[in-house]
Amino acid sequence: MFDIIGRRRWFYLLSALITIPGVLFILATPLTDGAAGLKFSIDYSGGTLWEIRFTDRAVTAAQVRAVLAAQGYPDSTVATTSNDYLLIRTEPIGLFSPPPSPSPSPTASGSPTASASGASPSPTASPSPSPSPSPSPSPSPSPTPVGGEVPTEGDLGRLATALQVELGKIESVRQQTTVGPVISAELIQQALVLIGVGSLGILLWITLRFRDFKMGVTAIAALVHDVVVVVGIFAILGTVAGVQVDALFVTAMLTVIGFSVHDTIVVYDRIRENRSRHAGEPFPLIVNHSILQTIGRSLNTSATVVMTLLALLLFGGEAIRYFVLALLIGIVSGTYSSIFNASALLVSWHEWEAGRKATRVAMARR
Amino acid sequence: MRRLFPLIVVVVGMAAVFSVFVDFANPLTGQRVETRLGLDLQGGTRVEYQLQAVGDRTPGPDAQRTIRDIIERRVNSTGVSEPLVQTQGFDRIVVELPGVSNADEIRQLIGTTGRLEFVPIPAGSPVPAQGTKVDPALPPLFSGEELASANVDFNTSDLGPGERAIAFVLKTEGARLFGDYTRDHVGENFAIVLDGTVISAPVIQSSIPDGRGRITGSFTPAEQVNLVTVLQFGALPFPLAEVSTQSIGATLGLDFLRKSVLAAAIGIGAVLVFMLVHYRLPGAVAVVALVYYIFVVLAIFRLIPVTLTLAGVAAFVLSVGMAVDANILIFERSKEELRSGKALYSAIEAGFNRAWNSIFDSNVSSLITATLLFVFGSSVIRGFALVLIIGVLTSMFTAITLSRTLLRWVVRRSMAWDHRLYGVAADEFTPLPKTGLRVREARSRV
Repeated sequence: MFDIIGRRRWFYLLSALITIPGVLFILATPLTDGAAGLKFSIDYSGGTLWEIRFTDRAVTAAQVRAVLAAQGYPDSTVATTSNDYLLIRTEPIGLFSPPPSPSPSPTASGSPTASASGASPSPTASPSPSPSPSPSPSPSPSPTPVGGEVPTEGDLGRLATALQVELGKIESVRQQTTVGPVISAELIQQALVLIGVGSLGILLWITLRFRDFKMGVTAIAALVHDVVVVVGIFAILGTVAGVQVDALFVTAMLTVIGFSVHDTIVVYDRIRENRSRHAGEPFPLIVNHSILQTIGRSLNTSATVVMTLLALLLFGGEAIRYFVLALLIGIVSGTYSSIFNASALLVSWHEWEAGRKATRVAMARR
Repeated sequence: MRRLFPLIVVVVGMAAVFSVFVDFANPLTGQRVETRLGLDLQGGTRVEYQLQAVGDRTPGPDAQRTIRDIIERRVNSTGVSEPLVQTQGFDRIVVELPGVSNADEIRQLIGTTGRLEFVPIPAGSPVPAQGTKVDPALPPLFSGEELASANVDFNTSDLGPGERAIAFVLKTEGARLFGDYTRDHVGENFAIVLDGTVISAPVIQSSIPDGRGRITGSFTPAEQVNLVTVLQFGALPFPLAEVSTQSIGATLGLDFLRKSVLAAAIGIGAVLVFMLVHYRLPGAVAVVALVYYIFVVLAIFRLIPVTLTLAGVAAFVLSVGMAVDANILIFERSKEELRSGKALYSAIEAGFNRAWNSIFDSNVSSLITATLLFVFGSSVIRGFALVLIIGVLTSMFTAITLSRTLLRWVVRRSMAWDHRLYGVAADEFTPLPKTGLRVREARSRV
């Protein structure tokens, strides 16, 4: 019989080897101010993403970048994507919004008739029931409100015009996304809260169902391991390949949290069953036996999920590629940690407790 | 209850197949039952707005709903097909415009606060030009709330080239004020101001006692229509700021759709083959259950309706991978029970009963995280989470009803009494319960 529990320190070491480089890269993100580590997409950092193609297919990214710099966007990046499309990334531009300070207008709540004009003989009519909202930029009559593929209005319209003057006609726009700074700040906060609350929920659920706090805690430890593995790998990928973390990444994390505990539950369920059936046998042996009994189904249940995710990764297109990759890494890591970490930690905890009890007994005897 | 399972399975299955293949009107909601594709799969524009506080007034849920309704009416007036206007969170409104790739104009229409004011220009003051800001020190005579109706005025005989007119009718109080003022100030100017910007500042030609007036100016036809829309549907109680916009070209959407459908087909196909090869007869039952599952889930998508986005398709494919997990756990457990000497039928029963705990606990964990995503996520994430939630619930339903009923039926046929169909050795296989020694032996082994 293969002894997984007896070799648990080796598996702890393996997990440490997998997670530590990732953790270093994650920590590098704030230390290097984003130069290394996780790369955040515009979902988090705010910005405009604009994928366009010029009629003149020979227009290069460098040319576009030069025009952007001349227009006052020096920090923009331009990359070539498929079918001669160019992907432009800049600070957020082209959001219509009212002026930032909602300055109370003079008619706010006082008596408007007090003012000099004295035109109105009826003092009660004009103070409208609600203070008037701050003046906002109205649809100023602009000359060309023509609906087409290429934006014509606002800052983005100006940019489009400048690009077309310099580099010829923009043939088509594939996609255009702008995220303001408000949303991005919210998302980061929300992501951390969601992952925290999700883990807590699962801790409570497992503790409740198994009536065993240790099982709850060790299952969560395995989850945290999985999250760290995925985030760490993305921090490494971000540093070496510029892979970005977007809003869907958090979704992937929570899905991993929800799914990777499945295998742990199967093992724990068997441990519970075997404990009552083989009462008196040493705990590590029961756990090891339970793992071996369920390892086949743990691998098979994960295999079906991995199959579907691989299909999405290989054939699903680039838009969700990294989302699927995050799920895939998380689920593979989840299967590993369920088999080799969660139950092993449970045994370590039991032994530590038994050891403490033994010392206490010994102390009492002395 | 058990006797009812076959009936439930058949009724639900037929309803699902009907809903998937037939487009009809949902009798409960009155909406058409159809597969809805998200903006990323069909192309379109999505804009997210944040309600802005004014002074110390902060927007509440009522204001959010009011603004949503006003925006919806404004958007509907533009003739965009199937726009979606939803509230989100505490201070957000999301507008989705399928098939619209450049929505500059609609965005301006939506973003206009729409506060109309009638501002008298005192005699001797400079008359503000169209498009300039009105002097905020000037008090308005009355505001847009006094407006009863507004419409495009087609009587253009008296207008200059490029000029267009909008006719309006005032309510009683406004009409009285307007009548009094115009009577006393003939020859002076009067500005019609929208959100602080002058739209037109006509000279008062004569007293206007009946509350009927018109706004003239050099508008494009689109601006004219937008203005009428804004006037008709009233002012927003709070101004809006765009916090994000996204537009996706129709060709890119189609490309995404094609790829994700292909990936889904390959992924699901691989799972079906795996189940057949690895679990044989029970695997075949799982395949039937999975096909059934797919139909039920698709039917639910169409009935609710769930808007399928790229992430939603991913969630669906993922949910198929998860849905077979219940079957795997049951079959593995049944195999174990067979090997311990149980007869086929009771092994299958024990497999279901013993595996159910793990299946239930696992699915609840997935539901916990998916529900969090659904409640707190933004719209793309909510789509993903909703699909996952529906998938998990449906998979539990198909596991207890269809898989179980079908397997019970199958293992009673004598054709199914072959150990090779279950992937166990001949001496581990007991098709029928035997009395006597063997059972006792089996019990002692457990």
